[in-house]
This record gives sequence, structure tokens and C-alpha cells, in this order.
Amino acid sequence: MCKQLDRLVVLDLPPGQVTRALAADFAGVAFVRGTQPPFTIFKRVKFNIGGKIFETTATTLANAGRNSLFGAMFDDNWNLQTDRPDEYFIDRNPDCFAVLLDLLRSGELYIPSNIPEKLLYREALFYGLLDHVRSAKWGQFDGNRLGLSRSVTGRAPDDGTAIRAGPDGGCCVAHGSMVHVYDWMLEEHPPINLDYQRVNDIGWIDSDGIVIGACERLGRGDSGMALFNASTGELRHRFHVTHENQVKSYTAGALSFSSDYKIFSSCKGRSNEYGIGVWDQATGQQIDFYYEPAGWSLGDADKLQWLHGTNCLLVATLFPRKDNCYISLLDFRDKSMVWTWSDIGALETVDEKRVRDAIAMEDTNSICVVNEYEDLGFMDLRSSVGSVRWSSRSRLMKGKMPDEPCYPKLALHEGQLFSSMNDSISVFCGPDWVLTSRLRRSYGGSICDFSIGGDRLFALHSEENVFDIWETPPPPII
Amino acid sequence: MSNNQKKRNFQIEAFKPKEVVDPKYAEKTWKILENAIHEIYNHIAGGLNLEELYHNAGGLNFEELYRNAYNMVLHKFGEKLYSGLVSTMTLHLKEISKSIEAAQGGLFLEELNRKWTDHNKALQMIRDILMYMDRTFIPSNHKTPVHELGLNLWRDNIIHSSKIQMRLLNTLLELILIERTGEVINRGLMRNIIKMLMDLGPSVYQEDFEKPFLEVSADFYRVESQKFIESCDCGDYLKKAERRLNEEIERVSHYLDAKSEAKITNVVEKEMIANHMLRLVHMENSGLVNMLLDDKYEDLGRMYNLFRRVPNGLSTIRDVMTSHIRDTGKQLVTDPERLKDPVEFVQCLLDEKDKYDKIISLAFNNDKTFQNALNSSFEFFINLNSRSPEFISLFVDDKLRKGLKGVSEEDVEIVLDKVMMLFRYLQEKDVFEKYYKQHLAKRLLSGKTVSDDAERSLIVKLKTECGYQFTSKLEGMFTDMKTSQDTMQGFYTSHGAELGDGPTLAVQVLTTGSWPTQPSVTCNLPAEMSALCEKFRSYYLGTHTGRRLSWQTNMGTADLKATFGKGQKHELNVSTYQMCVLMLFNNAERLSYKEIEQATEIPSPDLKRCLQSLACVKGKNVLRKEPMSKDIGEDDVFLVNDKFTSKFYKVKIGTVVAQKESEPEKQETRQRVEEDRKPQIEAAIVRIMKSRRVLDHNNIIAEVTKQLQSRFLANPGEIKKRIESLIERDFLERDNADRRLYRYLA
Repeated sequence: MCKQLDRLVVLDLPPGQVTRALAADFAGVAFVRGTQPPFTIFKRVKFNIGGKIFETTATTLANAGRNSLFGAMFDDNWNLQTDRPDEYFIDRNPDCFAVLLDLLRSGELYIPSNIPEKLLYREALFYGLLDHVRSAKWGQFDGNRLGLSRSVTGRAPDDGTAIRAGPDGGCCVAHGSMVHVYDWMLEEHPPINLDYQRVNDIGWIDSDGIVIGACERLGRGDSGMALFNASTGELRHRFHVTHENQVKSYTAGALSFSSDYKIFSSCKGRSNEYGIGVWDQATGQQIDFYYEPAGWSLGDADKLQWLHGTNCLLVATLFPRKDNCYISLLDFRDKSMVWTWSDIGALETVDEKRVRDAIAMEDTNSICVVNEYEDLGFMDLRSSVGSVRWSSRSRLMKGKMPDEPCYPKLALHEGQLFSSMNDSISVFCGPDWVLTSRLRRSYGGSICDFSIGGDRLFALHSEENVFDIWETPPPPII
Repeated sequence: MSNNQKKRNFQIEAFKPKEVVDPKYAEKTWKILENAIHEIYNHIAGGLNLEELYHNAGGLNFEELYRNAYNMVLHKFGEKLYSGLVSTMTLHLKEISKSIEAAQGGLFLEELNRKWTDHNKALQMIRDILMYMDRTFIPSNHKTPVHELGLNLWRDNIIHSSKIQMRLLNTLLELILIERTGEVINRGLMRNIIKMLMDLGPSVYQEDFEKPFLEVSADFYRVESQKFIESCDCGDYLKKAERRLNEEIERVSHYLDAKSEAKITNVVEKEMIANHMLRLVHMENSGLVNMLLDDKYEDLGRMYNLFRRVPNGLSTIRDVMTSHIRDTGKQLVTDPERLKDPVEFVQCLLDEKDKYDKIISLAFNNDKTFQNALNSSFEFFINLNSRSPEFISLFVDDKLRKGLKGVSEEDVEIVLDKVMMLFRYLQEKDVFEKYYKQHLAKRLLSGKTVSDDAERSLIVKLKTECGYQFTSKLEGMFTDMKTSQDTMQGFYTSHGAELGDGPTLAVQVLTTGSWPTQPSVTCNLPAEMSALCEKFRSYYLGTHTGRRLSWQTNMGTADLKATFGKGQKHELNVSTYQMCVLMLFNNAERLSYKEIEQATEIPSPDLKRCLQSLACVKGKNVLRKEPMSKDIGEDDVFLVNDKFTSKFYKVKIGTVVAQKESEPEKQETRQRVEEDRKPQIEAAIVRIMKSRRVLDHNNIIAEVTKQLQSRFLANPGEIKKRIESLIERDFLERDNADRRLYRYLA
């Protein structure tokens, strides 16, 4: 991509300074290597693609960038002979070429119904234009303009556990002990498992790495957490917990990643290894462990969230083995809890307001929580001990619960708040979090998890083995 | 149902085409690509054109090569393609390595550079062909991308080849050495080769060039600096060091990695400066002290700029400068020769300050720490001489009496500001105030002050420096002068007529307390005068009831008109005492000392001085003395000197007074200062204790000292005495439990 930019910039240089710029050659601005101009200005280029003739301009082809077949083909390294061929023959599918040429011309992607997407992707990969297709396929994410793009049906026998969007439009889905991986073309890659143990959480550390947190394999001192190659499914690294220089077996719960390449996971071990473990992504070594203080359940945490602004980790235990929910912010630098909340004592009085998910919103210094009736509540992070301020927005929902309800989940994406409830996802915007959109699909039952990333929203249904992909369409023509 | 039928149809299954038809497909395709890679290298190295390549490569063009590579990856022969690339490229690099090794002498680098350029070009073309592999096979199989692979293979087969590695390093270091000795080298070639090492990764550049380069440079500069320091003086050495430093910076900008600049300058700084710092600073006849003495701004600036680069460099300069200023300053203020002329003494201090201000501003970048060092040095030595406050006041006195005549207002301000600067260094500001008051009184009463504006300007400066309290009495003196003028006008308006042609009287009414007064005996005024004085007294007391006037005859002056033997007329400007003596001769030809003393009742030492100035000063001797001698004896007899002549009509007869204070006077002033400090110390103690209620001894001492330091440096012994006195007077008490604690009694 970087190369490509280079090339496009060259266009702006005065003619004398251009020596080997593809774009400039095509544009007819400059000669190649001053002294002997083997081919000079050619503004028009003729292709014979699988027998069909196409004619285009050099500027259109320059849009492909240097790092593509066209970029290389018209580089002067390859064009020293004196006479140019009338046409360039390429032994490929002409229909797909037409679509891709149109993409280079207009920047927009239009796939006729007679061309399977997979075929087009393959052709784009041949020409080195797959990135172009990817970025033209769907628009920049906006929760209020989402449309259902596809539903993918899987073959997992079990209920869905979690779905996570990858950084460039792919996703991974955990069912029981299996994790299925899809790239942005929604091509399935080899599935992943960690000793076939139940998966608790999954996450992408980059476009090619998936971390799995799984249950302990009883009697083997193994399992826990591991990193896999997303495209090949191979195990790349297994993360260990050591306590007093001994490797311990543990169950990894919720996962979170920080921008400085750390992995956090809630851990439950046999004896002392309850708490939050920290590993280095680069070395794979455990670098820290926050042992669970008495009366506080960190090892059981269901949700971890790294806060980039404050360098703290949000730890929420909402489905505890004990009776109470806990939310805290941990500062690993001095091993302190800088903010805490628990519902001890609050439950008897307001029984229905049991917190089911929580998300920190750093821009507003608050934590948003949701109860099982999708009532949103807010807590101020600036007061050191939190208390929930409920907004009684969605009491309407009460009473019409589906047969198999799912607890609500929350997500935050660029100032938009998302909350799943039963078979729909609500979008909230603005300083007062007004409900602005609702995404619903009739098939598949309740949504048990959803995730936003790579400008896509993925929603996993619990009743049927199916997940939906929601995208923002490309901007309108005018 | 129909599905079942289809599944049973074996024909269709059998016709499903295999992925690769030809079992030798992979081998054949690879051969084509391998051949193409060979041709690319040959074509670039040998200048073959693409047309030949086109033929040699079996009629292949780019599209076909690309498609072949694509197909190999598509048909799962990526591994074969990749390993084939590695071995083919390695093969070529080994050959290239041989041709570089074979290059003789100076051609070595050129050959290396040419081959490197070729390799890059080839690498680009190979990458173009294998683009699909680069994009798909390599990331998913965790292989090194083609471009990086090409660089790594170049590094391993060329740069790290046993016959090239050391030769390359030695060649580079040798060229740099040659350049250091002043010869011209091919910098463009150097830049290309170094750029190559950088392209191969930071570790290659660092390990294969930078580290040894820094080591060799350190050795070079160690030897060179040793040679220089034996043969050069400090200034020359610094010039050489500066030039070397600039050369290295320039070298980095021309052909090294920008990140090397800090490292190589560090080496030069350490070897040429840090290691020889003390020797340079203390170098005999040319070190820092000599530079300071001779005002070598350029050399000093160079030293500052070089030394600031190394740890403790500036503090070394600063320390030497400080101790030098302290030493010379100490010599200055304790030199008995200097003490003879206070004006000259202060001028010397000012010159010294100017000199170092200029050095700091021109050579030391106006460095705040240097300014502070200068200030603290001045503070140190000025206070070594207890007479500094007196001398500074005398300097001001001199300037305000005559020194500022014909000087513009701005210049006056500059001089006054400089004086204030010296004043700031004084610890005993109250002593200065004492003297200043005395000198100001003399100036005002004798009407000798040149410029009222200048006087007031200085008082305003003192006020901003030390506060209202410090100058209130000085301002009172100015008010008195003004009021007296008005009073005299009033006196003459109401009494003018009756006074007629008699002597004129100008009285200055001074508020007691504002002025420095000496307890003095009033002398007997001549009858004419005393009558006039009585008139004034009754006029004044008539308008201001409840006041008391006492005449300070020791502070007045008089103008007398005198006619001598042959009718020479002169106006004599004399003191009140002298007037009283001269007036006696209106009624007598000759008078003995005893008679004069009896008639005037002037205190004996004053009378002696007064007579001495009337009779013994050449050119001003309006009296004659028998016997003629320099000193006044009790038995001397005085006559009017009829032969008195002078070029001038007006003759000023000064009193023989030491301008500087004599030893006993000094003691007296000192004593008065000490006396005045007591109430101030007590006031400070009470102020502090009132707010703190309870405080221990050491803290009281510290706080009192701090509160008073703008006026003087309080002596702890004296503070202790004051505390005791306050305890006696029931302002404070000692704590019963802890004897070190004092308690404030409301």
C-alpha cells in the first residue's frame, strides 16, 4: 500500500524529476530514462483479456498502484524494447476484468448477478486488486445506516458462545469448544480448538492472530489460553500461568488486548491462581498477575476492557459463582483498584435491576451498564465508588419475552452505543444516548452476542446456527 | 431422488479434471521462471536489452511469467517456487560476490556499489514476477517477503562473506581516516555504500560499520588530542576541537545515518574535551583565567560552547570563573592602596562588574547560572570589606556633587542603576543608609547637589529595593528643605522692611530624627547675627507653636564680603564657625587662640580645624598666624593677612575635614548602626512570635535573619540578647517543659 502511495505522489512532480514513474509514463507527462525513449507517450492501452478486447487509459490503470500486476507490467524495467505490442494479452476471465476495470475507473464496485463473488475475488487477487475490492465493497461504518448484507449458516452443533469481528472485515465464532474463522469474503478457514475444551472468550490481536481462552483440561494441567494463525488455524503459542516458578493449569475467562501489545485474561486456577493474568504479545511470556483480593471475584470476570486513555483495565464479574456482581478498574502500575462498584445490598431492594453487561465510555468518564430488561444505567468514573443511575427508557419491553431469552450485551463504536436484546440490536447516539435505530431480523432467534470491527457488525443468533453481517452501504452516487 | 441418481453416475465423477494434468508441470514451470531470473540478472549486469531477454527466456513476456508464478502458487507449488527463488538468487549472489572480491584496490567499493544497484533492480523485477506469491503464499506460510529475502541474501552472501566483510569495513574506515587528514574522497560513493548498509537493516549498519567506526574514531581522537594538548595553547586547542566536531557533524550529514551524529559527536566530546577539561581550563598562560583577564570573548565563547556538550563542563568553567572573581575581588577590596580613594574603589568594582557582564553576554550566552555565580561572587567579596557601604555612599555623593555635571539624564540613570546593583550585594544595607543619610544631609545643606531629579530618582530606586521604611527619613529631608524655603520667604515678607541692609539669613529647619545630627554645642554667634537669629526664632515659633529650635552652628555656611589691606575686595565663602572667627577681626587687629576660643566658644578640635583652614592653606590664608607653622598651637596669635590676594573675587575656604571618616568617627557610626538594629531585631522577633505563638530557638534565629536580610545580616548573638531582653520585659517566656521553646505572651 505504501508503494502505491509513492507512485501516486510522483504524478505531481515536475516532468524533469520523474525517472521511473509508472503513473507519469501513462499520463504522458514524462519520458523514461531521458536518452533513448523506447516508447514515449501512450495514453491509451489495449488489452486482450481471454479473447475480449478492452481499451482504457493510462491514468485509469495508474489507480491500480505499483503493487499490482498493472503497476509491474508498465514499469520501465519491463518496457525496454523498442516496439510496443499493439495489445496486451492476459489469459483471464473477461467478465470479471470488466468489473475490475470499472472499479479502477470509478472507484465503485458493481458485481453483476451472473458473476459469483468468489470468482471476482479470485480474479482480483490475481491482478493484485483485492484490497481495492475490499475497500469498495462496503462503506464506512455508521450504526444508523446499516443494512443486512448476508447471513452465514454454520455447522456447529452447539449454542453460540461468542462472535468477534476481525480488524479487516473477517470474524470468528465460538460454539462450545470450536472456533470458526471467516475472512472478509466470508470464506471459512480451518476451524480452531484448544484441546477441544469449552471456549470462554475469543479475540483478534491482529489481522492474522486469534487468541482463545478456554476451560482447563481436567487432570492434564493444560489448556487455558493460546494464539492461533487465523488463516491456517495452526497453534502458534500457548500462554502459561506460573505461580512461584511453577507452571499451573488454569481456565481462561474473558480476554482483552491493549495497544501496547499486552494480553489480559481472567484466570481461575487450582489454588492461588485467581485473578487477572497479563502476557506480552511479542514474547508470549507472562509479565504480570493481579491476584484476586479477598471478597472480590476477579478470576470469574465475564468482561475485560482495556481503557487506552487511563491505562486501566475494566473488570466486570456479572455472572458470579457467589451472589454479587462486581465492576472495578485496575491500575497495574501500582497494583491498585482505582474505581470499584458492587451490588452488595442493592439487590434486595431493586430486584429486577441486575446488571448483565457493562462498558466503559472514556469520552464521558462513565460506565454504561444494562440489565436483563435492556434498561441502560450509567455510573460516573470520577467518583471513586460507583452507583448506578438508571434511565427507565425501555420498560415497554417487559412482558413480551421470547421463549429463549438472551441477556443484553453492549458495544461502543465511535460515539455510538449498541445494545442487543432478544432478536434485535438498538443503536443509541448523542450525549443523552437517544435510541436512533434498531436492527432486527426475523430468522435465528435471540442474539446471544455481537461485535463491531472492520466497518462491519456481526450478530450471532442463539437458536439457529446462523450469524448476520450488517454493513453500511457505499456512499450514494450523488 | 434425482440426487441419488446423479451420485450413482460414475461417468461424471471420472470426468472431473485433475488440478495438474502434466506431472512434470511444476518442474517445467519452475525452469521457465528460473531461466527468467537468470536472464534478469544477466540482462541487468550485461546491459542485455529486453528484446534479447524476450528471446532468451523462450519467448516469454511479463504477463506469461506472472501467470506461471501464479499458477505454481495456485497449484500448491508455492514451496517449490520459494525455495527455488532462494537457491537461484543465492547462486547469483555467490557469483556477484566473486566479482566483487576480484575488484582491485579502489575499484572494490565501486564494484560493490554497481552490483548493489544491479541487485536492487533485479530484485524489483523478480518481485514483480512473483507478486502473487508475495501476496498470498508468503504471509500465510510465514516466509520472508521477496524484497526482504533479497536483502537478507545480499547481506549473508556479500556483506558477511569472509572475503568482503573485513575488507569493506577497513576500506570505509580508511577512507574516513584519509578524509580526516584533509584529503578529498568520493563522498557520493561513500553515501551509496553506507546507504546500502542502512537498507540492510539497522543492525547491519550498527554492527558492520557504526560500532567499529566509533571505536576507531575514539582511538584517533585520543591520540590526536594528546598531541594537541602537548603542543597547543588552550585557545588553539579549542579551535581545533571545534573544527573536528564540525567536521564529524558534516560527515554525518553527507554520508552517514543521521542517528550516528549524537554518537560520533559524543566520541569527539569525550576524547577531545571531557578527558582534557581540567588541563585545558588550568593551562598555564592560556587557560580560562588568562582568557578572562584578556577579555578573549571568542575563545571564551568557544570554550563555553564546547564544554556545554560534556557533563560537568559548564560547572567547571563556572567554578574557575567564580574563584577567580572572588580572588581578584578580595584583593581589590582588601588592598590598602585602593581604600585611599573611595570613588576610585567603587569605580573599580563597577568596572569589574561591567567586564564580567560583557563576558557573560558575549561569550557565555547570557547563561543564568553564570550570572548567578557572578552575583554571588560579588556579594561574597564586597562584604569582606566592612567599609563597602560607606564607600558606595561616598561614590554616590561624589557623583551627585559634581560627577554628573553635563551628563545626560539617561547616563545618570545608568550610573545610578549600577550603584543600585552594588547596593544589592551589600549585606549591611542599614549601614549604607546611615552613611547615605549623612552624605545626603551635607549635600542638601551645602546646596551642593547637582540635580534634584537624580537625587529623587535614586531614592525611588532605594524605595523599590528596600521598601518605604528604608527611605521615609530620606524623603523627610527633602520635605524639610522645601518647607524651609517657604518659611524663609514668609520670614522676609513679614520682616523684610525692618531688617534693611543687615546680613541676610537663610535658615533650614530640620526635623529631629530625620537628619543625622551630632550633639553639638552652639557657638556664640556675632552680635549682628544672633539678633537676626532671635528675630527668626520668634517669627518661627510664632507661626509654629509648641516647637523648639536649636541652632546647629556646626552645619551652616556664610558668605562674607571682606576688604583687605590694599583695598582688594573679595567674597569669602566660609563655614559658620569660620564666620564667627573672622567677624571677631572687625573689632581687633590681632587675637590669640585663647581669646578666640573664649569669644566664640567653638569646641576646641573644631576651632583648630577652622583656624587651620583660615591661616595655613596656601592661597586661602586670609589670616596670618604667629608663629608661622602648620599646626595650631594654644599660644598662637592671629592677624588679618593684609597681603591676601586671589585671582578670584569669590574665595571658597574649605574646612579641613577628612572626607572619609576618621577611625573614631567610624567607630561611632558603627555603634549607632548597632544601636539602631536592636529595635529592628526586637520588632522582627515580636512579629514572628505573634503569628507563631511558640517557636524554638533555632527557628527564631532563622526567621529573624530571613526577615531582616534585606536590610542587614543579623548577628545570632545579638538576636539572642534581644530575645533575652524581651523575656525580661515579659514579651516572651521560656517553655517550662522544653527550655529551647519560646512562648509569646499576649
